[in-house]
Amino acid sequence: MARLGGQRVRNRKASTRQEVIVVDPGYLAQHLFNGLMLGVIYALVAVGFTLFFGVLDVIMFSHGDVVMLGAFTALATWIGLTDAGAASPSLLLFAMLVASIGLMALLGALTARILVLPLRQAPPMNVLLITLMTGTVLRESVRLFYPQGSNPKPFPRLLPTGAMEFGQFTLRFDSAILLVVGVAAIVSVHLALSRTRLGLAIRAVAQDSETASAMGIPFTATVLATFAIGSALAALAGLVNGLYYSEVSFNLGLLLGVIGFSAAVIGGLGNVYGAILGGFLFAALQTVGAVALPLASAYKDVFAFTVVIILMAIRPAGLLAERSAERV
Amino acid sequence: MSAALLKASGLTVRFGGVTALDGLELSVNVGETLGLIGPNGSGKTTFFNALTGIVRVATGRAYLDGGDITGLAPRRVAAQGIARTFQRLRLLLELSVFDNLMLGQHLSLDHGMWINLFARHRLRGEVRRQADSARALLGAFSAALPARLYDSAGSLTMIDRRRVEICRALIREPKLLLLDEPSAGMTPDETAELMSDLLAVKAQRPRLSVIIIEHDMAVIERVSDRCAVLDYGRKLAEGSYAEVARDPIVRQAYLGED
Amino acid sequence: MKYSAVPALTAVLASAAVVLTILLVDNQWAVAGVVAGAAAILLLSSRFGWGVRIAASGAAHPIVVPAVVLAAVVVIVFVLREDNFALLMLCTVMLYAVAGLGLTVQFGQAGVVNFAGAAFFGIGAYATAVLSTKSSLPHYLVLPLAGACAAVIGSVLLLPLLRTRGHYAALITIAFGILFKTFLEVNDALGGPQGLKVPGFTMFGHAFNDPIVIDEQTEWSFYMAYAGLSFVLVAAAYAFVRRLERSWIGLAFDAVRLDETAASAFGVNVAAWKIVAFSVGNFLIGTAGAAYAMMTGFVAPTSFTFADSLILVSIVILGGLGNPLGLVPAALIVIILPEKLQVIQEYRFLLFALLVIVILLVRPGGLLPRAAREYFPDQSR
Repeated sequence: MARLGGQRVRNRKASTRQEVIVVDPGYLAQHLFNGLMLGVIYALVAVGFTLFFGVLDVIMFSHGDVVMLGAFTALATWIGLTDAGAASPSLLLFAMLVASIGLMALLGALTARILVLPLRQAPPMNVLLITLMTGTVLRESVRLFYPQGSNPKPFPRLLPTGAMEFGQFTLRFDSAILLVVGVAAIVSVHLALSRTRLGLAIRAVAQDSETASAMGIPFTATVLATFAIGSALAALAGLVNGLYYSEVSFNLGLLLGVIGFSAAVIGGLGNVYGAILGGFLFAALQTVGAVALPLASAYKDVFAFTVVIILMAIRPAGLLAERSAERV
Repeated sequence: MSAALLKASGLTVRFGGVTALDGLELSVNVGETLGLIGPNGSGKTTFFNALTGIVRVATGRAYLDGGDITGLAPRRVAAQGIARTFQRLRLLLELSVFDNLMLGQHLSLDHGMWINLFARHRLRGEVRRQADSARALLGAFSAALPARLYDSAGSLTMIDRRRVEICRALIREPKLLLLDEPSAGMTPDETAELMSDLLAVKAQRPRLSVIIIEHDMAVIERVSDRCAVLDYGRKLAEGSYAEVARDPIVRQAYLGED
Repeated sequence: MKYSAVPALTAVLASAAVVLTILLVDNQWAVAGVVAGAAAILLLSSRFGWGVRIAASGAAHPIVVPAVVLAAVVVIVFVLREDNFALLMLCTVMLYAVAGLGLTVQFGQAGVVNFAGAAFFGIGAYATAVLSTKSSLPHYLVLPLAGACAAVIGSVLLLPLLRTRGHYAALITIAFGILFKTFLEVNDALGGPQGLKVPGFTMFGHAFNDPIVIDEQTEWSFYMAYAGLSFVLVAAAYAFVRRLERSWIGLAFDAVRLDETAASAFGVNVAAWKIVAFSVGNFLIGTAGAAYAMMTGFVAPTSFTFADSLILVSIVILGGLGNPLGLVPAALIVIILPEKLQVIQEYRFLLFALLVIVILLVRPGGLLPRAAREYFPDQSR
């Protein structure tokens, strides 16, 4: 579990033991790249969290597991299509993309409709618990019902292989493509939110749902659309995750979900740019932890989460949060 | 000439870009009832929130009985003798009427481990004593309420809930009572009844000062000794109800008249 | 004329019969049937107000009813005297109930969310492992000390917890839970992934892990001693939490949980009460974990995952948040059912998650919803 949410470093160079420790720039660059990759994935997940919180004041603890399910949907699609004889990587990738994004968007909207919207008036803790349990249901369903679900599954390599060497640092083409795709997705979200009517509707509902409804913005439709979009992003994150690590496992969503949530919180819940910042910040924390801590890099998660807890003690509302005045 | 119990000077509260209170100057004397009126958003509830420490004061000072209460945490303000009701009724509806009143009594209750966990017979006596005084206070506002001491607050009618909220604020005999739109959601008859009871209770507590926020001018006219009119966080006018009602500036701001 | 003791006694005896049946019977369908029947009766009872009558009945006889409960437990343990597994499960249920009582104080009473229950259970367990092997303190002191360790370590979370609400607070405890487990796995000083061995509980010279020899042919399960220990713990914890709830302290907790703004407006020191609730709760959870570790003889990180914390939360929600009495049937269902119904063993996390979802949607109050506070139930109004 710790492995899948963390880094798998490629071409790691062992530093030579000398009196003066030489830091290998290639080693650093590798970690930096890994960190960026992680940051993109975390950011995609965190944006979902923050969008859901913005429109419905709900923390979807099942979001991380939607990422996992998106990855598995893509995998199942690939298996189905290759069994049927399809071989073209671009066709397969396209189908996987469509299937996972489409199905997860649907799942997101459904979850909102059945589980979250009906509980709007209930104590927030109930909603929190329901989303936690939903995540468990998704996770356990994959573990129990997917063939050999408890074992990690290899994920196909569908992107162009090959790499470029920059001294000690190897830049693989597939990783670069994934990074670009991830960043493009994030940018698209920003553009969608700020330039489209739907984005406007989402922002309006997030700010003040009563007034938004009074202004004629359809509340339920906007909420469902938000959940669909957030879940679509999750599916993309899952696909990227699978392609990057060439592996998926049923419990990859648990740690990822907590990390995504942490990232959204650090940046200030409800603030999309905060979520993006938080995603990269968490990745940076993990990277620093892995590089700087002389002991096992397994401590990097301990380090990162400790920093998160400390951050929340200092800035409880997040780094970029606006204070909302409570009405008494 | 009675002494000033509460003195607020230069009180300023800002929310982001909005200045909710703008250098407010206000005072209340011992035993006086001050009516606080003004259009929506003029800062009345914000004034209460500033006094009780719920919002941060940017500049200015507030003094209670000579002591500086500016910036004190809500619980410390309560300890100084200020009690309040809320615009949006804030009873603990899940709990009984008695429990709600006991929240008002919190600072006077013994929270030691010994009496609460072990010396239960002493706690029993305490509970009984408190129940008796709770019934007495409730009885001042309604003959039927004392019998409902152990009913859940959520099972009460709106007017009974308001009564309970006022009793909660009164039960510890505060120096200053802040009432935030007590008549909201009530019919004129209910309002009249509530005000009669309030006046009766106040008659028994001559040193109790009250600030009452209201939109119902009949109420203000009836219960207040003095009035202050707020607009955009500043005091627009001050005086008796009659004076204030005649004031052209006030009429312009509040009623939109010429 | 006092309220009759019959309703309460009926409830106690019926519950004892159900527990015994479930533990003894091997046939899965029979067990499922009994459980379904019991759950149905519980649901019916709140429909028909039996719960109120039972509670009043129990309150009117504060000596007799607990005495009968004690007798019932003694009988059950005696009946199971040679069944190691059944007794182990019984003890587990009781100890999880203690942990659930801790969570009830934190979450049910003061509204302080804690999704790291399993972590504090684990801290108690590890503390016991260390204290009982590295020091010569008597074990009856080690238990509460281990609980104190859990409370003290939990206090590092207090600053961030106090400054946050709701979701943020949830995140802090979740992060801590993950942090704790990862730390244990990586840290060899505490045994790493394999964990540590824990010596059995010993008191006044009698080692609880020794079988109880009656005569040449008969030997009783050593778990009987642990059953005694667990019962003492759960009875003490129950009485403590009940009294806490029915006091000015319980009222302060309620105010903190229901409306912090109103509470502070009347002088409640919200932060202080949250600290008290969180620490007291962790103490209970840690003590339960300590006893559990001594009983099972070992402690390892795999037992204290986030999923386990969610199981603890499920027990509390299922039982009825804020109602300590609901914990026992809930713990029975959550812990014993998967063991007895082999069919659902694999599926237990999934099924309980679904169960909690259904409960939250349909009957958020749980099996035994929270009752209104009566400071002294036997006192006439």
